[in-house]
Amino acid sequence: MGWHRIGGKLALDRRTLLRGFLGGVAVSVALPPLEAMFDQTGTAYALDGILPKRFGVWFWGNGNRPEYWTPTGEGVGDAWSLSTTLTPLADVKSHLTVVTGTDIKLPNDAPHGSGAAGILSGGGLIDVLDESSLVLPTIDQVMAQHIGNETLYRSIETGCAGASGKSFNGPNSRNPPESSAVALYDRIFGPTFREPGDSTVDPRLGLRRSVLDGVLGDIDALKSQVGASDRARLEQHLEGLRDLETRLARLEEDPPDLEACSRPVAPVDLSDIDGRPQLRESNQIMAELVAMALACDQTRVFSHWFCDPVNDLLFPEASAGHHDLTHNEGGDQPQVQANTVFCMEAFGDFVRTLASIPEGSGTLLDNCAVLACSEVSLGQTHSIANMPILIAGSACGRLKTDHHYRSLGGENSSKVLLALLQAMDVPLSEFGSEEGLVNTPLSALFA
Amino acid sequence: MIRWLPLVMLLGCSTESEDKPKTVEVEPAGPEPAVSPPPPALRRLTATQYANSVSDLLGDELILPARLEPDEELDGLLSIGASTASLSPLGVEQYEDAAYDLAAQAMSPEHRDRLVPCEPMGPVDAECADLTLTPLVRRAWRRTPTADEVDRLVELAGEAGDALGDFYGGLELAIGAVLQSPSFLYRMELGSGGRLSDVELATRLSYFLWNTAPDDALLDAAESGVLSTPEGLAVEVDRMLDDPRVRRGFRNYIDELLHLEELKHLSKDPEVFPAMRSEIGPSAREETLAAVEALVFDRDDDFRTWMTTRETFVDSNLSMLYAVPAPEREGFGAVTLPSDGPRRGLLGQVGMLALHAHPVSSSATLRGIFVRETLLCQLIPPPPADVDTSIPEPSPDSPTRRERVEAHLEEPTCAGCHQLVDPIGLGLEHFDGLGVYRTHENGALIDASGELDGTTYADSWDLAAALRDHPGFPACMAEMIYSYGVGHRPEMGEQDYAQWLDRRFAEVGWSMRTLIREVALSEAFRTVSEVE
Repeated sequence: MGWHRIGGKLALDRRTLLRGFLGGVAVSVALPPLEAMFDQTGTAYALDGILPKRFGVWFWGNGNRPEYWTPTGEGVGDAWSLSTTLTPLADVKSHLTVVTGTDIKLPNDAPHGSGAAGILSGGGLIDVLDESSLVLPTIDQVMAQHIGNETLYRSIETGCAGASGKSFNGPNSRNPPESSAVALYDRIFGPTFREPGDSTVDPRLGLRRSVLDGVLGDIDALKSQVGASDRARLEQHLEGLRDLETRLARLEEDPPDLEACSRPVAPVDLSDIDGRPQLRESNQIMAELVAMALACDQTRVFSHWFCDPVNDLLFPEASAGHHDLTHNEGGDQPQVQANTVFCMEAFGDFVRTLASIPEGSGTLLDNCAVLACSEVSLGQTHSIANMPILIAGSACGRLKTDHHYRSLGGENSSKVLLALLQAMDVPLSEFGSEEGLVNTPLSALFA
Repeated sequence: MIRWLPLVMLLGCSTESEDKPKTVEVEPAGPEPAVSPPPPALRRLTATQYANSVSDLLGDELILPARLEPDEELDGLLSIGASTASLSPLGVEQYEDAAYDLAAQAMSPEHRDRLVPCEPMGPVDAECADLTLTPLVRRAWRRTPTADEVDRLVELAGEAGDALGDFYGGLELAIGAVLQSPSFLYRMELGSGGRLSDVELATRLSYFLWNTAPDDALLDAAESGVLSTPEGLAVEVDRMLDDPRVRRGFRNYIDELLHLEELKHLSKDPEVFPAMRSEIGPSAREETLAAVEALVFDRDDDFRTWMTTRETFVDSNLSMLYAVPAPEREGFGAVTLPSDGPRRGLLGQVGMLALHAHPVSSSATLRGIFVRETLLCQLIPPPPADVDTSIPEPSPDSPTRRERVEAHLEEPTCAGCHQLVDPIGLGLEHFDGLGVYRTHENGALIDASGELDGTTYADSWDLAAALRDHPGFPACMAEMIYSYGVGHRPEMGEQDYAQWLDRRFAEVGWSMRTLIREVALSEAFRTVSEVE
């Protein structure tokens, strides 16, 4: 337990304590975890407390046009320049890593489904006709199991235009994203939210916890009467109940005292205009809510589903739905290209929003690693070679930034995910399954 | 079994005199074969079942929760997804929110008198709490609770009433607990000795026929052992089939089968489809539901005529698209579509045509897949990966979709599947991506002719008849209604039963109402295997 704040009111876990002391006396021994405590200029966070690392997924569906995607040059800083598609990210280039040339090695037997499972979980599908049958949990949920236990919400999932999302805890265990900004605001910043310094406690919280105790007991008892797959489902239900119980207990404690945290302005939900969702505008509203949820340490893990695999949404100016275009637009598919550029504009908005919140001696973005990816590269052929992958933020200095890594040998994409897990201090030495399994991270990503 | 035959004679398609379904040699179904189903699965209430159940329990004037875990579809039905999907942490949170929100409404001064039959003596009144909770819990949990279960809830109400200084506040917590209990959220159709108990059967019947929890009469019948006798079961099933709630239940089945929820958010480019308005999707959904409800419950027609009937319902939104006069100034009214017009049957409805199309165009492939998968229960594999699936843009050489999808049919890797689906979709090309009738595309005359498994057709009018007479269509409808009832598609040990049901469907003159009754009364419906 602990809010990772030196001298804070809450108990600190052993790891935090160790880091805190070391940071406080500015020791000069170079221990690997120590890197996490320094920002990019090498300044220790000792004076403003150690801020938690956060992880996010920002997902867009239907892939890209690879010929316009790959940056020129490789390496760090001036050694590389953005490609046509990535031009909207020019002002955040210094916070980015672009990974090109990695492949999903798993069989591509469910168009869009295999790629989504592969890029997000490193595993495949149990049943190729059931795109929810992921063998493994997705990376956001693996992160949440390790770094999501100290906040009110283990993770939050958000989306635009009614996205179903692809965050899974395992087979048939989806975490549906919230696509209403109003509902998301109510959930995180509604009546239960208290700004730093507010000490009022709802008298019903304790009663609600005893109700949950009873429900937990009843579901636990039911487990002995059902078969194996139902037991796994009930275990998921129990997990959700335990999360909720912990959350209610934490609501009785004082809220964390974080400088950048304040209740945001209540948002509105945007409706479609002439059959077109207001994707970029909705994305911006969600970005602001997610950023504040992170800044207030309500959660440390998020996934944002800008648009789903196979979405047939009408993007601005497009003459047909997005998925329709990827298959049926002729030539070099200028409209598909424009849609992908549009996705990057929206990702840029998200990154800029995280970078606009000061935290410690840097910004919230510095303490994040945000993985942006899609389920295919060339949508037209459902290709899962040369996957489009972006990372924003340095995970508190653990990851290089302003970096283009080009994989020449077609390395396994799972290596990127394992590197991200290790950058977030998740003690895993392998990730994925079957052909997606790797036991070395893409270490070139580490600073 | 013989007793149904005269009914067949009476019912045989009264409305399609000019063009009757093909007469079929009906093979006697014989006795119902035994089934060996897969192991039972907990079925979490779908969002609609949750809403219906709490309305029946607490009062239909309550404002229902807006946000519950979205249902997952599997094998074509939400009812099947409800047997496999897990609940997310957000879903748990939403159940808690919904439970207390509903409980607070139910215990508000304006509503509580219908649920609380006594005047409390103070914030803690165990007797009054018991009198309130015992009948409520029985209906919520679809069984009589044990004394211990009631005691725990009464104790909770007391503890909370004391802490909050309010008897009704205490009951709110107890009702909140009732609605978060697995006994409410999951249908426990687990059985013992290979058979559902009468009480479990009551729940399965009630959600199958009414899509809500059993009423007191059905629970009473179950607990008194009446459902164990064929006569007693028939009395209850017939009572349920005569109750108007059966129409709501059947509408829910059609909603699931045809994915009509998606029509609520129908998205079409208004520049391509000037007739598009946001009300069209919801109107189209209502048309599809009202038309099939009338076919099954008002006329009890041969269900195969769902494909060809000209009887439908339109409002002002649809009457413009169909070029027929609106029968009512407000809302929906019955119409008979003209016999010389272009459209009839389910595939003539805007809902189906618009749903299985792109935002800017029709789609021969999507429409063909819908017919094969949903109406004929055939499985179309997904396209192979790493194949360029594009079709040419319209040009003087390929003005209509037929020329443009020809690439699918010439390329050997594509042709295998596309030959199964594209010709069906091309038969519907007289309807654009919104479902508006047209004769030309890009200036060229549309050719909607084709062949469906050996039957040729000139256009969608004939395609409708080819589907009506396709033996796979009633077989699929029998399979799907059973799947909806039991929460899974028939597996190996249920194939004989599925075939038997198909023959029974023919024997009863393809009356869907009678088929539903057959399923509800059949031994298969209450057979489960042992928990693994």
